[in-house]
Amino acid sequence: MPQGTHTVEVPLDIQTIWNFVHDMNNWAPLVPGYIEHEILSERQSTWAFKGDLGFMKKTVKLQIDIKEWNEPSEVTFDLKGMSDNFKGGGYFRAEAIDEKTTKMSGHLDITAGGMMGAMVNQILTKFVPQTAEELTEAIVAKLLEINLVK
Amino acid sequence: MSNTMTTHWDKEVDVIVLGTGGAALTAAVAAAESGSKVLVLEKTHQIGGTTAFSGGVPWIPLNHYMKEQGFEDNREDVINFIKRLALDRAEDHMIETFVDKGHEVIKFLHDHTPVRFVSPKSYPEYYARMDEALKHGTRSLDPAPFNLNEIGEWGELVRQNPIFPPLTLEEGGAVGGIDFQVVAERMQNNTVTMGRALIASLFKACLDRGVETLIETAGKELVMGEDGQVVGVIAETKDEEIFRFAARKGVILASGGFEWNKQLVKAFLKAEFTHPVTPPGNEGDALMMAMKAGAALENMSEAWWYPAMVDPTFEYEDNVMAQLGSGRQGPNSIVVNKYGRRFVHEGTTYNDMPRAFFNYDPVKVEFPNEGPNWMIFDQQLKDSQLIVTMSPGEPAPEWVDQADSIRELAEKIGVDPAGLEDEIRKWNEYCEQGVDPDFHRGTIQFEALTSGGGSPANNLGKIEKGPFYALPIYLGALGTNGGPKINENGQVVNFKGEPIKGLYAAGNASGNPLGPIYPSAGGTIGPAMVFGFLAGQHAVNS
Ligand SMILES: Cc1cc2nc3c(=O)[nH]c(=O)nc-3n(C[C@H](O)[C@H](O)[C@H](O)COP(=O)(O)OP(=O)(O)OC[C@H]3O[C@@H](n4cnc5c(N)ncnc54)[C@H](O)[C@@H]3O)c2cc1C
Repeated sequence: MPQGTHTVEVPLDIQTIWNFVHDMNNWAPLVPGYIEHEILSERQSTWAFKGDLGFMKKTVKLQIDIKEWNEPSEVTFDLKGMSDNFKGGGYFRAEAIDEKTTKMSGHLDITAGGMMGAMVNQILTKFVPQTAEELTEAIVAKLLEINLVK
Repeated sequence: MSNTMTTHWDKEVDVIVLGTGGAALTAAVAAAESGSKVLVLEKTHQIGGTTAFSGGVPWIPLNHYMKEQGFEDNREDVINFIKRLALDRAEDHMIETFVDKGHEVIKFLHDHTPVRFVSPKSYPEYYARMDEALKHGTRSLDPAPFNLNEIGEWGELVRQNPIFPPLTLEEGGAVGGIDFQVVAERMQNNTVTMGRALIASLFKACLDRGVETLIETAGKELVMGEDGQVVGVIAETKDEEIFRFAARKGVILASGGFEWNKQLVKAFLKAEFTHPVTPPGNEGDALMMAMKAGAALENMSEAWWYPAMVDPTFEYEDNVMAQLGSGRQGPNSIVVNKYGRRFVHEGTTYNDMPRAFFNYDPVKVEFPNEGPNWMIFDQQLKDSQLIVTMSPGEPAPEWVDQADSIRELAEKIGVDPAGLEDEIRKWNEYCEQGVDPDFHRGTIQFEALTSGGGSPANNLGKIEKGPFYALPIYLGALGTNGGPKINENGQVVNFKGEPIKGLYAAGNASGNPLGPIYPSAGGTIGPAMVFGFLAGQHAVNS
């Protein structure tokens, strides 16, 4: 199962991070290759993005279903391809280290199914952890930009 | 820039080769074999060109691999076959050179380099049902799997076709089902097949012979000596740095065709094709250099045609990628023009079928098939075959038009609904009768190549089970194949038929010496390698 977790220490308190992360509209555009997203309901949204696999780019549409919101420390979600055969999930976790510092983790797992599954999963083995890292880093950069640079 | 003799050179070598495709690397191996110093220039950031991106199959008559498999071949038969296809558009001595030298080139590569092939037993010749064709076995050769680690850091630079799994021709579903587990294992241990295996093994042979390769360095202009011979190349890097390289023994143009140069496409081809299925980079640089040097031209209105399909979610180097697609030959499908009418046997070879796109209607004064043309199919085909990137059993993606009735589908795609309804009614009748009197579907080898050839059972299936689908089919090409005219040594000749000293061409950078034919799988890489080899050999030995 292709997956990746990326953890960063952020010089911000946990509530600031939660305020940002709990609203998908804030971070959806930070997904690498973001094209658009649409909020369908409080828990459901669709996303389109262009995944850069190095030797090619693939536009993918996903449906994201939020599974849990555990304020202020966790958002978990399921995802599935709308016209491509894969599914998976992910989470953002925040853990207060002290009042001003938070450990933030982003996790993603995506598994391709169908007859090409084994092959696609081989490609995703590199892509998924890279995306988890890039997304987490982009969220941190955005958080720092809006909270530290006044 | 000047193209006259220069006294200042940044580097002096014996032979300069432009490009890193099959023609170029075979030429480089041949030139370097005798110890000559060879410099290879590649315009893009990757090596291998269309060849690496391709099936990598050369078509080589009388090759020793087929002999080992027990397949008989015969010189006279091959020559007659090529002549039959060429319809008087190729010169006999060039056909004979190809037939006589091709198998020697393959044997040389086998004996002296890591380049290896397999004769794919279950992969017949495209025209196997023609009287003149080979009936048993094939002249096509399938590159054996090769480990990219053998060329060290160059391995990462070998171009990759995103659609092709690392399987050989036979493993690639040609004879019943792809084993995606094998694919995954090969990907993990860096083993490649098809065009990448051919390029990587040729490149290893180049490395073994001390050939130097510079990437992101395009040949821009030929340097001519005072008596009209070619003595070097002016090259430009991607950072616009200019170098002058001397070639003591010759310059070999093997930098592919001109399919990505709109101006040249418009000037020379029968129709402005919209969907090259090759990687960008082949922009006719060799053609322009050769024209300036006074080369005669050949086969200029031709290309290796292909009816291209598109899954718009795939992009390759910033372009939506045109793909070879699949499903066109299948039952339960037809191809129609804007009037909803069939206009061609849908399952003929990819080089032949698009020629019907050029038909001219002198009454209506138009090209009725110039597109958009559509493959129309039903749920039965959708359920049974991979169509472009759509796997059976998975929901149709949103980029495929679909409707519950034929009329609704026609309206959706802007095709004459009455025409399409009538055409499908006729098609379904033909399927019931088991004959297609209009275009003879179910009669040729290619339309069911590896499952016994065309037959009513394989190819005539009614379009009757909704939903109905439509996919556009575009005029595409695997490359152009017109260019400077060459002789049997791979030398570029002028309009008097005299060789331009020091100038050679091979592959899609030259006019195809076999004319506008695609005799079977490997019809382009075969002559590219053979005349590339002859060019490299002649340059250093003459
Ligand atoms: C998907 C696909 C599958 C195919 N399968 C087969 C097959 O199995 N068998 C077959 O016979 N044919 C096949 N073809 C067609 C075949 O790949 C090409 O016709 C063939 O590879 C052309 O070889 P080449 O050496 O002439 O050019 P290329 O392989 O295209 O190489 C030309 C190289 O020159 C470089 N270049 C361009 N300009 C310059 C410059 N100014 N200076 C330096 N370098 C330059 C290009 O970047 C490129 O790397 C296929 C094509 C495609 C797209």
